Amino acid sequence: MGMNSGGGGGGMGDACYVYPGTPATPGRVTPDVVFRRGIYMNGSMTFDDGNSVPIWGFTDLAAGGGGGMTGGGSFPSPAMRVTEGQIVHTELTVNMMWMHTVHHHGIEPSQANDGVGHLSWDVTGGTYTYQWRPAHAGTYFYHCHTNTPLHAEMGMYGGLIVDPAPNPNDPPGTKRAFANGPIYDVEAIWAADEIDPAWHNLQWSAGTCGGDVGLNNLNPQYFIITGVDGANSALTHPGVAVNMTLGQRLLARYICAGFHPQKIDFGGLTVSVVASDGRPLPVPWETQAIEAHSAERYDCIIQPTSRGTWTVTVQFRHWRTGAVMGTARTRINVT
Amino acid sequence: MERRGFLKAGTAGFASLMTGTGLLSWSPRSQAATISKTFYITAGTQTMPDGVSVYVKGFSDSSADLNVPATPIICQEGDTLSITVINRLAMTHNFVIGGLAAGDPPLASTGDIPAGGSGSLTYTIPTGKAGSYLFYDNKTSYNTFLGLHGGLAIMPAGKTDELYSGSPKFTKQLFWVFNDIDPALNRAVQQGTAIPTSFTPRYFTINGLTSLPPGATGHGDTTRDALYDPRTQLEGYAGVDRTLMRILNAGMCSHAVHTHANHMEWLTDRGTVRPQVWKKDTLYLRNQLGKIDAIFPFDAPPDAHPPVTTGHFPMHLHDEMSQTAGGGMYQFGAMTEIVFK
Repeated sequence: MGMNSGGGGGGMGDACYVYPGTPATPGRVTPDVVFRRGIYMNGSMTFDDGNSVPIWGFTDLAAGGGGGMTGGGSFPSPAMRVTEGQIVHTELTVNMMWMHTVHHHGIEPSQANDGVGHLSWDVTGGTYTYQWRPAHAGTYFYHCHTNTPLHAEMGMYGGLIVDPAPNPNDPPGTKRAFANGPIYDVEAIWAADEIDPAWHNLQWSAGTCGGDVGLNNLNPQYFIITGVDGANSALTHPGVAVNMTLGQRLLARYICAGFHPQKIDFGGLTVSVVASDGRPLPVPWETQAIEAHSAERYDCIIQPTSRGTWTVTVQFRHWRTGAVMGTARTRINVT
Repeated sequence: MERRGFLKAGTAGFASLMTGTGLLSWSPRSQAATISKTFYITAGTQTMPDGVSVYVKGFSDSSADLNVPATPIICQEGDTLSITVINRLAMTHNFVIGGLAAGDPPLASTGDIPAGGSGSLTYTIPTGKAGSYLFYDNKTSYNTFLGLHGGLAIMPAGKTDELYSGSPKFTKQLFWVFNDIDPALNRAVQQGTAIPTSFTPRYFTINGLTSLPPGATGHGDTTRDALYDPRTQLEGYAGVDRTLMRILNAGMCSHAVHTHANHMEWLTDRGTVRPQVWKKDTLYLRNQLGKIDAIFPFDAPPDAHPPVTTGHFPMHLHDEMSQTAGGGMYQFGAMTEIVFK
């Protein structure tokens, strides 16, 4: 092992079994939508108990988001939202200090555009443009696929929503989960994740050349929903908790964004699961709870029949023992 | 320490860990048959990607082999299984074929097989038992984790392309048997010391192997690299090679089985046929002998532009701890390759 520089995600350091490259995009065409993503390696998240951990993520360069050594960025990373059938470019720019990719999880493009380092390249010292064209509306997410256990745990993910093409028979502004799918009025994206602070002080290529850096053993201490501490903050955080009026219909897009299995309980509400992993279910599934594992998504239509407050609880269960390691909670308030 | 039948399955001898048979092949018969198989319980060491040597046990094809997992068995409803298990080790073992659905009693068992002794079972498979099964040793709570496990496929009588009568059809089939290894457990068994009260796995295998990424010694070696192991790799032509994965969890952890390039058609969970077929890119594989059957449809990747019909993609577990070896070494875990030819 050679030198490892510390801080800000580690800078250069040793890296093994990485595949640097920024080639031209095969078959590149003019896109309908462009996302310009940089990266940050110096963010942080503060929990309800006052402790904080370093966070990495993607930035929105088009919106002036910094990259690399300056600024930090949002956590989760800025969401992508596209419409079925659009040609999309995700430009990823990474300086030569690090390597990263964008894998659009659940989106199934060509090998060159799948963002898997060992089957294409890890982006460094330039820009690679991922070209893809989503065929199916639904809930996805994107994440870095370089040294993935570490980079995803560090926060390098964001929501990815594919909307159906507008139905010409619908009134303007109608929102559907998928083509001819249920109409919704209010939307929530709940990406439930767990944080092990012991993983959050490693450099970007930690462990790739060998040596035990603990990436087999995730012992989370904090449990979050869409970047907000699920201990208390997520109960009321406006980006997580839902405020709706009686008669409205909620589409809750639940993303199991951690590595351990989870169980989401809707506090006594019966939800109608209409899609999973970006595909409509043949028959909606009525349930009050869902057990899910890492990277599964479930799209839930919720239409409370009375005013009130329901607490949604995500249990995080140890992958071996099944023990509940912690919970994250938010609320649905119906007025 | 157990010394009988102790085998070294390091680099040169590594092929003895393999069955080398590739995909499960199957030709139906109009008549039931007796399927006879003899397994030898053997032990030895397997070298992990970081060079650590781990003691393992297997249901092997001969006393000179060490097969982890065991060579799979494929048969059809109506057949009679006649299995003999010869214990080459100095501890009592057993051989159990688990039930079809969670909570079902075992299909059959040899009962205890004493050190140096043998056991047998005979079981005629009734109609309605088509599906995927794990066979294993449950003499202790941890023997399965040591490598004493394998897959049994029971086909519907007379069928080549259905998991159960009337199921969605496939053209190829294979087993993905997952295991998680905590070398402290294996070492304690080898040395006869106290079994740990808690396990923290450090190695993660699919059909007994880990992936070896480009640049690694052994990358592309079909006998060593789970990316290229013909028992494991999904390969086929778009629009042609619908492949059934019989996914079995012999290990201690639950897993999230994630395919790139196509969603899977999810047919069963823990042996029970799902009420409808959901299309999923990630499937929850339970621990405690969990299992899933799913079909990889080999459709052209739907979101490519321009369209493509060829390419290499991963199947990996999304509980990313399982993608490591020895606490690091990302890409040396339970992963294989999906090849659109």
